[in-house]
Formats: sequence, structure tokens, C-alpha cells
Amino acid sequence: MSVIEDRTTAELQIDGETVVFSPVETLLAVARRHRREVPTLCYDPRLDPFGGCRLCVVELEGVRNPVASCARAAEPGMVVRTHGEALDKHRKTLLEMVCSENRQIDVEPLSGYASQELAELADRYQARTGRFQGRQSGKSKQDDDNPFILRDYDQCISCYRCVRVCAEQEGDYAISVKNRGFDTQITVEFDGLLKDSSCTFCGQCVQTCPTGALADRKALRAVDLPGEVVKTRTICTYCGVGCSVDALTKGDKLVGIQPAMDGPANQGALCIKGQYAFDFVQHEDRLSTPLMRGDDGELHPASWDDALDRAAQGFLDARDKHGRHSVYAVASGRAPHEAAYTTQRFIRAGFWTNHIDNCSRA
Amino acid sequence: MSNPLEDMSKPDVIFCIGTNMTECHPVAATGIKKAVARGAKLIVADPRRIPLADMSDVFLPLRVGSDTALLGGMAHVIARDGLMDESFVAERTTGVPEFLEHIKQMTPEWAESITGVPAADIEQAARWYAQADRGAIYYTLGITEHICGVDNVQSLSNLALMTGNIGREGTGINPMRGQNNIQGAGDAGALPNNYPGFQSVIDPANQAKFEQAYGHAVDLEKGMTKVTALELCGDKIRAMLIDGENTVVTDPDRQHCEHALRSLDHLVVIDLFLTETAALADVVFPATAWAETDGVCTNTERRVQRLRAAVPPPGEAKPDWWIVSQIAKRCGIPGFEYESAKDVFNELCSLSPLYAGLDWDLIDEGRHHWPVPYKGHPGTPILHQDEFENGRGVFKLIDYRDPAETVDDQFPVWLTTGRRLQSYHSRTQTGRSAGIDYLLAEESLETHPDDVAAWGMADGDWCTMSSARGSVRIKIKATNRSPRGTVFCSFSFNDVPVNILTGSGYDPVTQTAELKVCPVRIEPIRDGVTAPS
Amino acid sequence: MSTPTNAELVARWKAEPAPLLPLLHAFHDRDGHLSDEALREVSAALRMPLADLFGTVSFYHHFARFPPGASAPRVCTGPVCRLLGGEELLDAMRKHGATPMACAGRCDEPVPVLTAHDVHVGLAADALERRPSPLPVPNPGGLPECVFESIREPGRATLDGYRRSGGYEALSAALGGSPDAVIDALKDSGLAGRGGAGFPTGVKWRAVADETRGPKTIVCNADEGEPGCFKDRVLMDHDPHAVLEGMALAGFATGAATGFIYLRYEYPETHAILERAIAEAEAAGMLGDAIGGTTFAFRIHVRRGAGAYICGEEGSLLNSLEGKHPFPRERPPFPVSHGYDDLPTVVNNVETLASVPPIVRRGGDWYRGLGLGDHAGTKLISLSGDIERPGNYEVPIGLPLRTLLHDWAGGAPGGRLIQAVTMAGISGGFLAGDDLEVTLDEPSVRAAHSMLGAGGIMVFDDTRDMVAVAHSCMEFFAHESCGKCFPCRIGTQRLTERLATAAGAAGPAQLGDWRAEVEDIGAVMKATSACGLGMAAPLVTESLLRYWPERVAAHVASRAT
Repeated sequence: MSVIEDRTTAELQIDGETVVFSPVETLLAVARRHRREVPTLCYDPRLDPFGGCRLCVVELEGVRNPVASCARAAEPGMVVRTHGEALDKHRKTLLEMVCSENRQIDVEPLSGYASQELAELADRYQARTGRFQGRQSGKSKQDDDNPFILRDYDQCISCYRCVRVCAEQEGDYAISVKNRGFDTQITVEFDGLLKDSSCTFCGQCVQTCPTGALADRKALRAVDLPGEVVKTRTICTYCGVGCSVDALTKGDKLVGIQPAMDGPANQGALCIKGQYAFDFVQHEDRLSTPLMRGDDGELHPASWDDALDRAAQGFLDARDKHGRHSVYAVASGRAPHEAAYTTQRFIRAGFWTNHIDNCSRA
Repeated sequence: MSNPLEDMSKPDVIFCIGTNMTECHPVAATGIKKAVARGAKLIVADPRRIPLADMSDVFLPLRVGSDTALLGGMAHVIARDGLMDESFVAERTTGVPEFLEHIKQMTPEWAESITGVPAADIEQAARWYAQADRGAIYYTLGITEHICGVDNVQSLSNLALMTGNIGREGTGINPMRGQNNIQGAGDAGALPNNYPGFQSVIDPANQAKFEQAYGHAVDLEKGMTKVTALELCGDKIRAMLIDGENTVVTDPDRQHCEHALRSLDHLVVIDLFLTETAALADVVFPATAWAETDGVCTNTERRVQRLRAAVPPPGEAKPDWWIVSQIAKRCGIPGFEYESAKDVFNELCSLSPLYAGLDWDLIDEGRHHWPVPYKGHPGTPILHQDEFENGRGVFKLIDYRDPAETVDDQFPVWLTTGRRLQSYHSRTQTGRSAGIDYLLAEESLETHPDDVAAWGMADGDWCTMSSARGSVRIKIKATNRSPRGTVFCSFSFNDVPVNILTGSGYDPVTQTAELKVCPVRIEPIRDGVTAPS
Repeated sequence: MSTPTNAELVARWKAEPAPLLPLLHAFHDRDGHLSDEALREVSAALRMPLADLFGTVSFYHHFARFPPGASAPRVCTGPVCRLLGGEELLDAMRKHGATPMACAGRCDEPVPVLTAHDVHVGLAADALERRPSPLPVPNPGGLPECVFESIREPGRATLDGYRRSGGYEALSAALGGSPDAVIDALKDSGLAGRGGAGFPTGVKWRAVADETRGPKTIVCNADEGEPGCFKDRVLMDHDPHAVLEGMALAGFATGAATGFIYLRYEYPETHAILERAIAEAEAAGMLGDAIGGTTFAFRIHVRRGAGAYICGEEGSLLNSLEGKHPFPRERPPFPVSHGYDDLPTVVNNVETLASVPPIVRRGGDWYRGLGLGDHAGTKLISLSGDIERPGNYEVPIGLPLRTLLHDWAGGAPGGRLIQAVTMAGISGGFLAGDDLEVTLDEPSVRAAHSMLGAGGIMVFDDTRDMVAVAHSCMEFFAHESCGKCFPCRIGTQRLTERLATAAGAAGPAQLGDWRAEVEDIGAVMKATSACGLGMAAPLVTESLLRYWPERVAAHVASRAT
């Protein structure tokens, strides 16, 4: 076996194909980069490898048992097989075993970003066989009435992605594992409610759950709305971090938010505001027509023509009566660039003044 | 920020001052938590025992408004103990002899006498920060919303210059921007002193450039800040356009603010809701909201990103840029023939050197941090790598100054204001989102349990809180997060309009209000009547 | 002595190495259970997230969260104690709040009952007594021994007694030479891990010695949790200094200054013996700073487990020591480079470490020569169950199993026939029929689809129902499965359900389907489990199906009715 010393150009073999890998890659990463469909349930690329579900096992020449590819660093000269009769049989058996511990396999896609993972794998490996019947694991926390996170642990498969995302990605350490073995139960301190724990309702546990055991209660309000769920990539509207999100819509209705796992500023992270505080968009209080103050001193709905004329005339009047420096504009720190840009041009080119500011001083 | 967000997990010493990051920038705080989990040292300076303090290695609970004393004390220790990065100071900075002379008197014991922070903790923090391979400073409005906001920032800059903790991965001086596009509003030129791209309005070359671009003579003087404009409403200022800001609630001294807007001849407001500010307008325009609007925003790390519409707006609501353009057209101003947000943004790119290498299509995936000086440039995640904007970093001589108002017999308690995780600004958005009330239904005044007892009250009692400008009713919450003698609340709830109380002073350079310091008096309410304390 | 306050307990342990377990024990010992307040104190003191602490405490079965907690008796219902009447004793003691516990490592005695820090043994609730660990009988084959050679000397457990029979001579001599000489002696001896994994000890120590990162640590795995194993207990109880000297030699050879003994909860007397021995050795300058007048410093800390079999797995053990959730670790990397605190670490079993001083004193060739044929050295076997003379035996590796069972230990009592034995405690499943002709060495036992492992052998005579025995073994594995990996967490549960005798128990009613499920589960557990527990557990069902197919058929048929 020739070992290549320069690890930046190191090579290994996957299913007979010689491929190049970088020094920090795992076998799973290398395999997926080369379009091998290696199944996983406990894996989230943002988290440290865990090696729990064992679906990602691959055969490694010179090693007796298959190895968990998510947790095995790639090394030069390795000879790896990602598929084969034995591996596929193990994967199918494992999936049949997992399916046997849950109430249902199919869950509503609005449950969360990763919620379809188990159902998709069960279909791919034809694992909906009803084998391995027995006791079911996990117990739903039905008394947690928080409006954001459904804790339907009957559907839990103990992959610990929620525990790990809460610790490693969010740094809140709210979720933990109680008991052991088949009695394992996802919980929080003293088995309490999320609101009494260190949970910040960022929703990360919901979005990484592969079975809908933790689910997005707000999005699930729209289960019965007609139509497919459409995702539109945009940037969160709250603080200055600029997290990438997908706005979930059904028809004309904004029904939920999911973090963009490849968002450059957030890498899939969100907070309670970005994740859950979106109802203002389609709130009944939204202004839907221009308003003008009438002779009665009250604001009344008006046509765009009338309102725009009135608005323009007021600025022209001020300029004519009090000079160009009597006009002022405050741009928004919440609206896009185009709002601020047009506003400053309006002031500078229209009124020959630099009387423009934004709200960053408050 | 001088450095990108992804750097936040990379320092080995992190100094957070005046930033309640886990509540106000929770996703950014995850980077710091990762660094701490890796073993990085965390120094937290804040008057309140904020959640970040719970995970710190040294916590510096300074008295509100005493930041320059704390930072001067740290600089003194770094110089005294020979912990300066001498080669960085020699190669990249200027003014060090005067600076060293200036901080000679600022012993940690002197700093303790002003800040209340034990001198030993000041020394520990200074040593850790100075000895870091990668030391990074993060701050927010706890630094800037003071009459000495600029002094505070320059004091932080002095520390970074002394120690060379800038211009490299995992270092820097990093302010966190509070609103999704407050950076972008500045980038786009909504500033009285700068054209788009922070090009000075008093530079003749820039004046010529924009005169040509806009086909109209430009003003040769700087404009006035919003703070000054509000002072002069009804006097020099007669007509105002306010886009998407609830000035009345979020700005200091609410009565003054309301009075100012009412004094205008003409007020036009563009917003999503009939806010307290919009209610004062002559004309209100309905804007499209987030998720209804295509556009561009810039985040706190100068990353330029695309906003995309996902749903149609309600009724006749229109994008802000369209509304402003229509008003401009009806004022007879040429050049507002934009057909899309893309047209507007591409014009901005053509006029801003910071965006010269960008256009609407190039920012699709949000890969660029400005400055992007030419097409094909990869962007600039880290500022000041080789030299500072004006060549060498300049040490500034900063003296401690008292806040505009200090506690006395009449107003014996410090009030400091801020934000909470579950609410945003004046709650026009979070307050209208289902479920938020489950976690945060009302505002309360965070008060040390000893103070609550000393004032003859109990947790949950109502009180009247008064400053020189007015008073509000608020419920008391006993918590060790507040130090004795200092109380805290947010300005989010309209039924506790705390900005009635604030507004004691402004930074002379930036005119940022001293929202973080306001002496108040607290009196219990018994049987619906305020009882004298 | 007044009851210590929370602050005093925290102050005692906060700055110690590996403080979580001892601090939890301190609260548990004081209060009898771990209250919410105690968890909050520990969480704050060690800056450990409360949710993590709450979850991790629940992992350990001897940590009680509520009264009566530690004051309630725990009765062993392991496989051998069931033969002795452990379940009946438990029932008799339920009125005192008794609960069952897994094999407590006293299979050579009557049923053990653990109450707080006391272990009593007996067969009736009103006839329990305290007894020291039984000493091994003199070698029945008259063969030379290694670790048992001097254990029967009077006073051997004291420093003086230990020194009278050559104790600490190896360390003193080694300190005058080079660390490499110690490692070379071990390599020459052929000593391999006696906890069951069988990795060459000299190679392991060499690897740690060659690591440039540090500080390094020596961990003695004394979490003897395998059912049917009680050999480490007798070593620690009667020859504690041999373990300490072995650890000190490991520290000297590899450049480590700190050692931990991770001791299972169920051995409270052993804890006291070890602490006393450590104090003696420190007073005599054989542990601590400047050992033997040299610059070598080495300190040993005892850390008690709290009732979790998986903590005998080295990755789980290290996580447990570090205060983390005791899941096994992915390997590689191995502890030699990434062990305690992610730094180079030697993890050795008690028996392995106790073998080191005589090997260093008398040379590798001497030890190698103790084995039969090509085999090197000796192995301790804990023998229990239906056998005339249960107890610990030091056998030359390669000794025929039948020689041990019949010639040394007297065969099954009452003239009955030996139907089956377990191997490796229960981790090797069963041997029966012609496979009882194996010799006691890994190649021979592995050829019979089992393993020698840690050396526990339980004997079942021809009256025993092997399906019921298999069920109790699988129930143990399911009870002790940590829950990290899917194949073991679900597999041990499903196999237990399929071995349950109750009519209508979960699982197919048709024998073919039943076999297919059990075999598929077994195959996936052996191939893909994250640690040895899940890989070993299916040996029980595999060997059951191999030796007693008719019994299995009858079992499946009986459940269907």
C-alpha cells in the first residue's frame, strides 16, 4: 500500500473509484461529496459526529466490522465500500427496528426542516414491514402547552440531534437525555416545561428532528390549508446578524419559517424572533391603503393619487415658504437599501440639502 | 464589525462590554458560546448580571456610565505590566508616548473608585486580553448610548491598538448592529454627513460626482442629525418624511418627541402599521413588509444579502422605494424612473466604491462583505489587515466624564434600559406574533431583592418611576440580575413608555442619546396611589 | 462530626481532579439521595448545565433522587443469585423498601444485599452477615501463579505485609533504571489486557510513552460489572498495593503523574481498603512526590461509579470520569492518544496492573513461561453457579476447561451433569456439549464462537432451563444498554421480549419468523453496534439457538397459546 504523505492531495478508494479528500474530512463527507447515498439519522453536518444510528456504516478493508463513516476520519490509502448486500441488509434491519418503536412513520412536512428523513429512508430501504413488534419508546410531554414546540416523544428515536444541537450549536444546554437504553427519554431539567428550563425557543431542536417528535407548532396551524408548501429564501427581519431563512408559504399565506442550513451568517441557526415572530406580516392591523388627515383632524383612507399629491405638495410648500433646509427625512433601519437610497436621493437631489438621517441614533 | 461573524468562535479571549448578546443578537452569541466551550476565556463588563455574565471567567459589574474609567484602568495595567505588543504599536500606530503619559494616573484602584469593580478583577481582565493570541472585543449600545459613546469606543480602540488585537482572524473591535438593515441605511447614504458608500459630503470630489449623477446642485454643508432636527421642528424644520420608524416610542424623551412632530407643518410616514408616530402624520403610506419585498440588506459583518418576496402584500401596500419615488416624481424631481428594486440597487452600486464590485445578480448568495472595490473582488471579511483607513491607528486621550445626570437625593436610583430576547423594539412586529405573549406578556422593572425590600415593596408590586422628565407605572420584579441601586427595563411595551423618562443628554459627536443612564426615583403604589418613599 | 454543609462539600471536591462523581457521592452519602437542591449546587459549582446533570444522574442506577434512597436495601438478582434464591430474598425484603440490583460481583458467596455503604450476604432476610472477600484456595493444580502467588500471605493487604513478600521492590528497582526497561519487560512477558480485550500491555504503554502531548493519565478499570466476575475484587481486597504499584510503574514507564481507580459502586469495603492503602503508600513515600527519593511523582485518586455496567467500557469510563454522559466513544482515536481530558491515557484492568510488579521483578520470560504450550502467562477465572467449589482460580493460559471444572473445582454438586457454562461472564454466551472441551485461551474459545474475555464462568447443571437463563442474561444487557446506538438500544429490548416466557409476549408466533427476527437482530448488533456490549449480547441468543433448538421451538410454541 502506498501511503501518500502530503495530505492535501491524499487519495482513497470508494467503491473502486479513487478519490481525493482533504485532511479534515470524514468518510461520510467524502462519500457524500462523491454522490454516494449513505443513509443517516443521527447526523447533522453542523454537529460533532456521534455515531448513534449506525446507518452510515461502511466496509473498510482490513477492519473486521463495518465502521461508522460519520465518525471515521478519512486516511490515505483506505479502501471503502459504501454499498453491498450485507450493508444494505443491515441498514434495512436497522430501519425496520427503528420503525417498530414509533407510533407512525409519516409525519406532516410542516413539522420541521428534517422531519421527513425517517419516512424517506424507510421508503428507500423498503423498511415498512411491521417486523420487530414490541414496546414503543419515548413518552410525549403532553402537559407542555408552549405555543412553539410540540414535544411528541412517542415519535422519538433517540438520535440525540436535539440534545446536541441545543448544546453544540445553540449553546443553551436545555435538552438532555434521561435514563438509558430503551428507556431513554429526551427531557429538560427536572422533567419540566420548556419555559421553566434554559430553553430560549430558538427552534433548532425542531428543525433538526428527523421524525417530527419535536415539531413546529406554529407551522402546524396551517396543516389543513390547501396547497403545497413553497420555500422562499430570504434574510431574517430582526437584528443585524442577517440570518438566512426560508419563508414557508401555502398559496398566499405565510405559514412558517425554517432556517437556511447553508445561510452564510447563521449556518442554520435562528432565535425565537426569527423562527417564530412572523405573524405581524399578515396581521389584520396592517395598513392596506394610504391615509390622509381630513378637516376633522382624523386620518381617513385615501387614493394613492390624492395621498401622493398631498405628500409632495407639503414638501414643496415647506421648501417654498421656509427654504430648502426646512425639509428633513429619516430613513429606516428596517427597510431594504432601496428605501434608504431613494430617500437620500429624494432629499439631496430634490431639496438641495443633506438633511437626511436614519434611526441608528436611538 | 472589523471581523466576520464566523470569527466569533475563534478567539482565545473574548471581551464583551455593553452587549447583552444572548438576548439581542442570539445567533451571534452562539459563536461566543462555542468559543467558551472550546476553552476560550470570557470577560464580561456590564452593569447587570446578564446571561453572558453567567458563563464568564471574569465579570466586571461596572456602574452605569463608567466605561472609560474601566477601560483606562485596563490600559494602565497593560502598560504597567509590559504587556503591550511593541512591534504592532511601532509599526501600525501613532501617538503612543502621549497616551502612555495620559494613562499613568489611571490605576486600577482609581478605576475601582469610579466603577465599583474590584481592582484585582480589572487587572485580571487586562492581563487576559493583553496576553491573548486572539483577543476580540464585542460591544453594542451599552457602549454607544452614552454622552461619552465616542470616548467609550475610542477607549476600546486604544486597548486593541496597545495589544495588536486587530486586523487578524479572531480579533478586532466588533460592534453588533441592532436592526436588520441599519448598516445598509448608512451604506445607502441615509446620513447627514455622507453620500452612499460613506463618501463625505464636504469633499469637493464627492460633491462633483453626485452633482453629475443626480443632475442637480448638491449642498456643500453637512446636514443636521435627526436629534438636532427634532429639536428644531416647527422652527427651522417644517416638513419631515419618516420611513419605518416609531420615533415617538423608541426615541428618548417621548413628550419632547411628540411635541416636535406635532409642531411640523407636514409629516409623512411610511410604515406597516398605524404606529404612535404614524398617528401624528398628515399622510400615511402603507409599505410592503418583510417577506413581501424584494431588496437588499447589509448585516453587522458588512455582508450584502438579498431579501425576497414570498407573499403578496395586503391591499394596496407598496415597496418603500416605489412610494418615495412617486413622491419625488410628483415633486418634479428627475431620475426616479426605477422599475424595480434591482434598478435602484444597481444605481447604488455604481455610485458607492464599497459596492463597486457588486450588482443585484452577484449578491444572490450573499457571499460578499464590503468593501468590494471592483468586479471579481472576493470581498473583505476582515478590515484593517494591513493598515488602517487613514494609515496608522491613532491613540486617543480619553478622560472620564460623569453621565449627563447623576443620582442625587431626588433621583437616587440608576435606570438603564435595553431589550429582551422575546421582543423587538416597540413590539410592532413581535407583539403581533402569536405565542410571544406566552413567554413575555408584560414589562417589569428588574430590581435587586434588597432594594425591593428596602423600598418597602415585594416582587410583583406596582410602583411609580420618575425622572426629571416624567413618570411611568411599572411592576417590580425582584432579581439578582440587577445590582443594588440600579434598575432595568426595556422600552418595548407601549403601556410602560419608559422613554418618557430618558433623554438626559447626547454624545456631542454622534448625537446618540444617553439611553443607558437615567437617574430615577421609585415610589410604591398603594391602593392606586403613589406613596412617597 | 457535624453534618457537612453544601458549601463544605463543594469546597472539598471542587478543585479535585475528576470532581463530578465524588461530589455527587458526597451529597448522596449525606442525604441518602440527590435532591433538586443538591443538583443545583453541583451544577453551579462545576459549571455543568443543570439539564445535563439531571440527565446524567438518571443514568446511574445507584443514585437515588428521592428518599429512602441509599438506605433502602438492594438485592442482587444476577444470574447466579437467581439460582441461589435472590428473587425470593428480594420479595421477602420488599417490605423494607428493597429493590433489585444487577450482578454485584459476589457470585462465590450467598446473595449480597447492599444498603448504603454496607454489603451483607445471606439467603434469608433475618440471616444476613458481613464477610470479607473469600481468599482463593491454594492452586489446586499445584501450578506456579503470578497475581495470586503471594495473596494468601498474612497481612499482604498492609504495606508491611506487602513489603515482606517483595512488594514495591519492582518500583524501587525500576526507578533506578529507565522507563523503557519496564516497557521492554512487559513486551517480553506477552502480558495482554486481562479485562477481556486482550491488547498487548507493553504495546499500549509504549504508545502512551511515545505521545508528546500531556499531562498523561493512568486509569485502573476497577468497574468489574460483568455478571459472574469477581476476580478484581479479591485482588483489590487482599492485595491492594499490587494494584497501586502496577499503576505507579505505568506512570513511571509512560510519563504520567496522575492515576485514577474507577471502582464500581457495589464494592464499598474495597473503596475503604484502597484509600487506606493509598494513604499508607503515600506516607511511606511510594506514592506522592519524590517517590523513592527520585523526581518521579505519582498520585492515585479513587473514583466510585454509581451503577452502570457500560462504565466498564473504556470510552464510557473516561466520559464518566470527566463528568460527561457515560456513552461509549467512537474509536479511533483510542485512549492512548485521546483518553482522559482528550490526552494520552493508559486504561488497564485491575488484574493487568497487578500482574506488572511481579513481571518487572522477575522478568518477562518468567511470566511468559507460566502459560501452557505457546500461551503466555496466566488468567484469573471467576467460577460460580452449579459448581462444587466456586471461587477465583489463577489458571495457566491453555488449561483445559474440563480440568478447571472437574479436577480443580469438583464438578457440579450432587453428582449432576454440567449442561452449559457461560464465557466472559455472560458476554461470550454459552458453551455446551462438545464445546466444553475447549482450552482456556482466546484462540480455542473463539473457535467455539465465544470468547474468554474477563474470565467469568457460570456453570449450569442439567436441571436448568437455558431459555430462562438466556432471558435473564438478555434482560441484563437491555437494562445496561446505554442507549447511544440504535442496534443495541432497540436490539437488546427486542431480544429480551422474544425470550420472555409470558404468553402473548411481543414477537412472532411462528418459529421461522421468530428465528429470522432474532437472527437478523443479532447480525446487525454484532456488525454495527458502537461498543462491545451490543456486539456481545447476541452471542447469548446465537448459542441458545445452536445448542438447544428444540427448547427454543417449545418456547415459541408455548408463547403462542
